[in-house]
This record gives sequence, C-alpha cells and structure tokens, in this order.
Amino acid sequence: MGFATYIAKRLVTAVLLIFVVATLNFVIVHLAPGGPDAILLNNPRMSPEARAAILKSFGLDKPLYEQYILYVGGLVSGKWGTSYFYLTSSYAVIAQRIPATLALMIPSLLLTIVAGIFIGILASRKPFSFADKFLSSFSFFFYAMPAFWLGFVLLTFFSLFLGLLPASGMISVTSTRFELLDYLRHLILPMTTLTLVNLANFSLLMRSSLIEVLDQNYITTARGKGLSERLVFYRHALRNALLPTVTMVGLFVGFILTGAILTETVFSWPGLGLLTFDSIFRRDYPIILGLFFMFSVMIIFSNFVTDIIYGLLDPRITYD
Amino acid sequence: MIERPGKTQPHFRSAVKFLRLYSRDRSAVFGLIFLAVLISAASLAFALFPVDPDMPNLASTLLPPSPVHPIGTDYIGRDQLMLIVYGARPSLIIAFAAGAILALLGTITGLVAGYFGGRVDGSIMRTADIFLTIPTLPLVLLVVAVLGPNLINVMLIIGLTGWPVMTRIVRADTISLMKRDFIEIEKVMGAGIRRILFGHLFPNQLNSILVYTSLSIPVVILTEAGLEFLGLAPISVSWGFMLNTSISYWILGAWWLSFFPGLAIFSTALAFYFVSDGLKAALNPKQRRRQESLVVQLAERK
Repeated sequence: MGFATYIAKRLVTAVLLIFVVATLNFVIVHLAPGGPDAILLNNPRMSPEARAAILKSFGLDKPLYEQYILYVGGLVSGKWGTSYFYLTSSYAVIAQRIPATLALMIPSLLLTIVAGIFIGILASRKPFSFADKFLSSFSFFFYAMPAFWLGFVLLTFFSLFLGLLPASGMISVTSTRFELLDYLRHLILPMTTLTLVNLANFSLLMRSSLIEVLDQNYITTARGKGLSERLVFYRHALRNALLPTVTMVGLFVGFILTGAILTETVFSWPGLGLLTFDSIFRRDYPIILGLFFMFSVMIIFSNFVTDIIYGLLDPRITYD
Repeated sequence: MIERPGKTQPHFRSAVKFLRLYSRDRSAVFGLIFLAVLISAASLAFALFPVDPDMPNLASTLLPPSPVHPIGTDYIGRDQLMLIVYGARPSLIIAFAAGAILALLGTITGLVAGYFGGRVDGSIMRTADIFLTIPTLPLVLLVVAVLGPNLINVMLIIGLTGWPVMTRIVRADTISLMKRDFIEIEKVMGAGIRRILFGHLFPNQLNSILVYTSLSIPVVILTEAGLEFLGLAPISVSWGFMLNTSISYWILGAWWLSFFPGLAIFSTALAFYFVSDGLKAALNPKQRRRQESLVVQLAERK
C-alpha cells in the first residue's frame, strides 16, 4: 500500500471520529434534564401556542432522526446554535477565540518539545547518575502539579510580589495595536506554567528511548568504526530516538490543550479556555457544546498530522 | 475442621516479603503515611472541626496565616484548615470511586477482548481508541455542565472516560497468558470460560491491575480538581472550588487562598504516585524495569 492510500485511510478515520464526536454531542444534549431547550420552555407563563411555536422554530417538533440529520448538517455548515449570552452564532464566538489559544499553545508546545528533548539528552548521558535522578524527579514533580495552581503561584510571586510581569490578558489594555514585545511579556508566565506541567511527558520519554537506542548493536558498530562519540550520539542515536517522541506529539497536543483551558482561566488569556470558564459560569450550553466539538476537532486534526509526519520519517512503516 | 498447615504460611510469608519490598522505597512509605493521615482526618472531620463548613463568619474574613488560623481564613471568614480537611472528602470519594469504575470496566473489557479475540477484540479496541482520542477534560466538562454537577455524575464520567488504557494493559497481558501451557492444559481438560477467566486470567493479573489503578488515581484527582476549579463542583467545600473562588481575591494579596488548597491537591496526587511506585516494586519485583519512571510506562502503553 502506498503513501497516498495511507493518508486517505487516516483521513477517513479522522472524519469518522469527528462524526462520533458530533453524535456524542447530540446524545448529551438530549440526555439533559428537561430536554435540549429546557431553559426556554420551562416557563410557566408560556402559553401552549407559544411553546409549540418555539419548538417549531428550533426544529424540536420533528422526529429525532430528522433532528439528528439537521444537527449534523448544521455542524458542517457552521450553524452551531445561538449563544444564550452573546446572542450571536456560537460558531462565530468560538472561532474568534481560536487565534489567542493558538498563540499560547504553539509557543508552549515548541518550548516543551525543545526543553524536553534537551533535558532527556542531559539525563541519558549518564543514566542513574545524580544529574539524571535530579532531572527526572524535577520533571515528574511538576507533572503531578495542577496547572492552575502552578499558574497561581507564579502569578502571585512574579506579578503581585515582584511586579515584574503582567498578570493577565494577552496584550495590555492600553495598547491600541498588537505589539510583539508586549505579547511576549504577557506570554512568559502562562507559557512557563504549561511547559513545566507537561515537561515530564517529553523529557522522560526522550530519556528512555535514548537509553534504549544507545544500547543497540548498530551504536556499538558505529563506535567500533572509530566514529567520535559526538557523531555517534547526534547522527546515529538521537535521530532514531526522536521517533517515539514525534509519535507522541499528537497525544501531547491533547495534554497541552487541557492545560491551556485551565491556564488561560488563571491568566485571563482571552482564548477558548477562558471562554469555557465563562460559559460554564453563564450556563451558556450552545457555547459549551461547540467548544467540546472544537477541542475534539483540534485533537483529531493534530493526530492526523502526526500520523503523516510519522509516515514520512520512518521508512520502515508499513501502511496498514 | 481439618487443619491445613502450610496454607497460611506462604500467605504470611508473602505478606512479610511484600512489606519488606515496599518499605525499601522511602517515598512510598512517606506517601502511604500521608494518605493515611489524610483519610483519617477526612473521615473524622466532624470530630476535628465540629462546625458547619458552610457557615460564614464575617468577623474574620481574609485573615492571613496566624496561630489561631494556621493557614488563614477565606473570603467569608471560614478557617482554611477546616475547609481543607472537609474538602478532602469529595476528592477522596471521587478518586476511589472513579478509580474503581475505570478498573472494573478496563478489566472486564480487556479480559473479554483478549480472551475472545477476533471481532470482539476489534470492536472493543476501536471503541477504546475513540475514547483515547477524545479529549478527556472537555468531555467531562461538557457532560457535567449539561447533566449537572453532582457526585454520581462526576464519578461516573471520570470513570467512564478513564478505562481505555486499563483495557489495553489487561488485553495485552491476557493475550500473552493465553499462550501459556497451563491455560492450554486447562482448556484440554475441559475448563469453562468462567474458570479460565476468573480462575486463572484474572488472579494472574491482579497485581498489575492494582498497580495501574493506583497510577490512575492521581490523574482522577487532577481532573476532578480541574473540574471544580472551572466552577463545576459537586460539593462547594472542595479543594478545586476553593481555588475557583480565590480567583477574585489574589489581587488583594491573599495568596493563602489559592496556595494551600493547591498544595493539598498536589501533595495528594504526588502521594498516590509514590504509593503506586512502591506497590509496583513490591508486587512485581521481577518486572521492575531499570527504575523506569511511571510517566514513561504510562506513555508507552498508550
């Protein structure tokens, strides 16, 4: 099977998964106590005629399977329902917040990968030495920490007590246009939080796969050929040890996303996470539903991209 | 009654061996002591602090740590130490209940998938893959937000989203056990499904099931705390929800409002990790790979 078929197969899986998520969304709404629009309909002063009119306008008088088809059709065409709070299309509200979340997630993901690989290399140079144990415990320590709490600790210390860094938002309220330096200053604390919490995922995986690769016969061969240790490490070992790390990137997007929901709330970062927090507070169900769908699509997409990168990197992979 | 000497002896000896191996790991002992203290404090909360935890005391709001209130008071004047002790209850209840649910589901699906193989295996594992892809926290958030944040919903949904990794572990072990001679012999001798599943496959995996369950409990605690932090707390006196309310007060410099509940969540999660590591060393001494970290094993098994 060729690479094109492999991609096509992955694409079909991704689309199917999105479909499953959409169905899940639909089921959850209909499981809700009082049905999908209980808030609107549970009004004792409403006449039966008005009730019927509302049901009709939302399409709730149709049989369930027809509602389902309409719902999936609506998802595809961007009709995700009207937000109870913003009173506009919830798709528009959510789409507007995506850039801010990406502006936090992408730098954090890159920093986590780079720092994780670096720490993994350092730790694997002398396995079970003091340095190795220190680095591994260091990353594990943060792994057990709730992201939002670490955020609070950094926030209190660096912005409140020391007054060094801005405490909230993505850009200063006073600035009228986007300035890179201002954005970077706001980025430091939430990015540090996300990186520290997720570091163990990368550094420990990198460490273990490096130790495993360095144990292999071809490394001994390379050393036996008289190659310098530096060349053996970077040309032969590191390249192969990176492979499992790349496969995990797709999974880590999920971890980082979860962390971002919590971290954005602490730092009032105006992205999807803060919107989640606010919408829960406002009981804005159309937005909460849309957010779950959006998060799932983001993760399914990143898994798809990871699969392709993996296929390109490892020539041995059999496309099945 | 007929005495059966030698029957109790090995049990006793293995218990001693277990304790000896477990106590070798200092952090595991520390974790166990921490959890024992926490569980006793939480169950004796009414005796330790005979007050209504919801009762405000407006004369003592936002007091910093002092001898009277060792970790300060909150925005409506309640003693924070009292809140932490009461707040341990929902965390521990949900942690154990959701852990039990995911262990049970994962064990049953894993055993069935590994035993029957073929289509049954295929459909169970595809479902598990779907659950692994869907982001857990957003799904839990959605379900709890729509269906209402009560204890049962939170336990159920965290348990129901956590089973796939357990399924994979149990399935892999089942498949490798099925190839062993003693199972083949049992089959030839006409043993039924029940005997093979619950007489052999399950007891042989009990240790690894126990270890993985203890490994997944900190994840449950962190998810539950995140849920409460985002405002979906089944019980208002809980660690995550204390952090939720502290959002409005950090700017006043009331650092103790967020610091101590977060420390409680963090140390409990860490204690469970330590205990899990100690259990692994004591229950599967042979399987202990060159001091491999928990996270790596968790990640690799995904």
